[in-house]
Amino acid sequence: MGVAHVCQGIALSGRTAARRPARGFLLAIAVLAGLAPRSASAHDQSFSHADVEWARDRIDVALTVHRDDAASVLGTVSPEALMDRGVLNENAGRLAEILAARFRLQGDGNDLALRFQAAEARLREHAVSLSFRTDRFDRPVCQLTVEFGLFPAITDHETFLKVTQGRRLALQDVLTTDHARAEIYSDGPAGALAVFLTFLRAGTHHIFIGPDHILFIVGLLLLGGGVGRVLKVATAFTFAHSITLAVAALGWFTAPGWLVEPLIALSIVYVGVENVRSRPGRRDWRTRAAFCFGLVHGFGFASVLHEVGLPRHAIGWSLLAFNLGVELGQAGIVVVVTPLVAALRKYWPRVAPRAIATCSWAIIAAGTFWFMERVIEPALRLGSRL
Amino acid sequence: MKTPAFFSRDLLPRGLLACTLLSGVQVPSARAHQFWLSPSSYVGAVGRPVTVDALAGTGFRGERKPWSPTHAIRFVAGTARIIDLTQAASAGDMTWARFVPTNDGGAWIAFESTFTPIQLAAGPFDVYLQDEGLTAARNARARGIPGTPGRERYRRCAKAWLSGRDVARATLPIGMPLEIVPGAAPGSEPVLAITVLREGRPLAGALVKAWRAPLDSSGRPADPAGRDSVRIAWQAQTDASGRVSVPAREPGEWLVSVVDMVPCRGDRGADWESTWASLTFARGSR
Repeated sequence: MGVAHVCQGIALSGRTAARRPARGFLLAIAVLAGLAPRSASAHDQSFSHADVEWARDRIDVALTVHRDDAASVLGTVSPEALMDRGVLNENAGRLAEILAARFRLQGDGNDLALRFQAAEARLREHAVSLSFRTDRFDRPVCQLTVEFGLFPAITDHETFLKVTQGRRLALQDVLTTDHARAEIYSDGPAGALAVFLTFLRAGTHHIFIGPDHILFIVGLLLLGGGVGRVLKVATAFTFAHSITLAVAALGWFTAPGWLVEPLIALSIVYVGVENVRSRPGRRDWRTRAAFCFGLVHGFGFASVLHEVGLPRHAIGWSLLAFNLGVELGQAGIVVVVTPLVAALRKYWPRVAPRAIATCSWAIIAAGTFWFMERVIEPALRLGSRL
Repeated sequence: MKTPAFFSRDLLPRGLLACTLLSGVQVPSARAHQFWLSPSSYVGAVGRPVTVDALAGTGFRGERKPWSPTHAIRFVAGTARIIDLTQAASAGDMTWARFVPTNDGGAWIAFESTFTPIQLAAGPFDVYLQDEGLTAARNARARGIPGTPGRERYRRCAKAWLSGRDVARATLPIGMPLEIVPGAAPGSEPVLAITVLREGRPLAGALVKAWRAPLDSSGRPADPAGRDSVRIAWQAQTDASGRVSVPAREPGEWLVSVVDMVPCRGDRGADWESTWASLTFARGSR
């Protein structure tokens, strides 16, 4: 909650002063305090606490913010005056309205309205704590989403989020402008199902939004072959990336992004080159390549999973679901590309080799571009920092 | 509803509120926030648990800061062995660590943070440079375009010493980017000789400041968030070998602080890079 504020022009409203004449002296001082230029105290970071208690039928939220931050969003009262019970009570409703609008809570994808309950001044911490409660749920919420945005004007503000379910600490996280969202899943079968579906979607989504993975798989399939051959290649890729995905997701070993990402690009170049070099009768290299580069792609998948965030109490389910999602996406590509290649070879046997070579060169070009991009960009960034 | 684990007490009496409000009426200044480690006791007694908080403020009175793992490079305690304290607290906890010294040699606690960006208007930034004795930065700015805001990134290097018999433990450099290294066990001598090291080398001409807060009736440090702020007790510049002697005769809790600022190299969104080192200890503590 500490702040790095530099000067705030603050004044109490005349309306407030008029309604409470008995406190005129104090309010006058508060006005003076607010109007006087405040010290340019610096080198301190703004923070707040969000404590969420997630019960079966409702959710309680306590937002605790520094008095300086509270005063800055109110704009009409000095931070010091907010420590007075009367002044706080007069302003609590408006402050609650502002903060509730910036602290978005969703249950199973639906917005949950926060009803203001009470405000409390925390003198020792120079803070104000506001408590909220949602309406009662008709059915238990399985997935809770919290979105941060309490003080958008303070770019380095941190909100320490703590979510408890009964006695269980469901989540502890630090929300910032760069990491503004947290997802939490309930305990029990319903929560596990929500985890499963969420990570299944995330896995499939990642395959389809990542052209590098798509091109790698397409590259492996361009040479065609029977169902058995294609299954062997696909299984090798699946087996390999499942190993490294699990190893990295469980925190046993992680490979740095600056190494993994260029290697993924190189794997695409390699597949394209091997396709171009391929001649009838030559040994099929694809199963080996699928396995070796699958290990690298697995680390790439793990970095995505890390960004999504694994729920601590359902790591197994989330990992399994994400991997299945990836497989589903991969299977979708196989189902589309394999018949197309087979049809090309069967109905246009003269065109097929040239078409496959053209596609392979395109794959090489894309892979080379990504490789350059993934090596040069970080190198330039590093150079500019030195 | 269970509220966050903050300290709570009755609301301030009106008279006290008036004083608090009056304290807000102040002349403009550019006081930068000091940062220090505040143990519950400055005596490293075997078996006696010590909690450690971190505070930022002015006049040796501050606000507790929450533990944030993303901002920590290291947080360690040095007793008979080095104890990693980074796992001692969860993100957002206002108490950073609890530990129990295992021998009577004393213990140091050290924290080093990552850089945090900050920007100040030209006027306050120049005043802050003057207050902290950052002459080189001030002169460099004077040669530049007037009115340029101060774009800075800063980090903290804080140490606290819990008294004990092992002088060598107290005087050993830990290896922080900017470090106040005592020449004797802090609090044991009426004059504490210190050396300021920047990246392991003596830093000449650095302005070292000291504050002293009285101990409470039981000889323990008074609550740094609840006590009155104090005036600076002493300040002087380090000599060519980075040394200076702090007259710490009076009993109490002491904060010694120094700031170093260098131009920020590369594209890091800042023109200046400051490092704040502090050392807290007590004299006459029980």
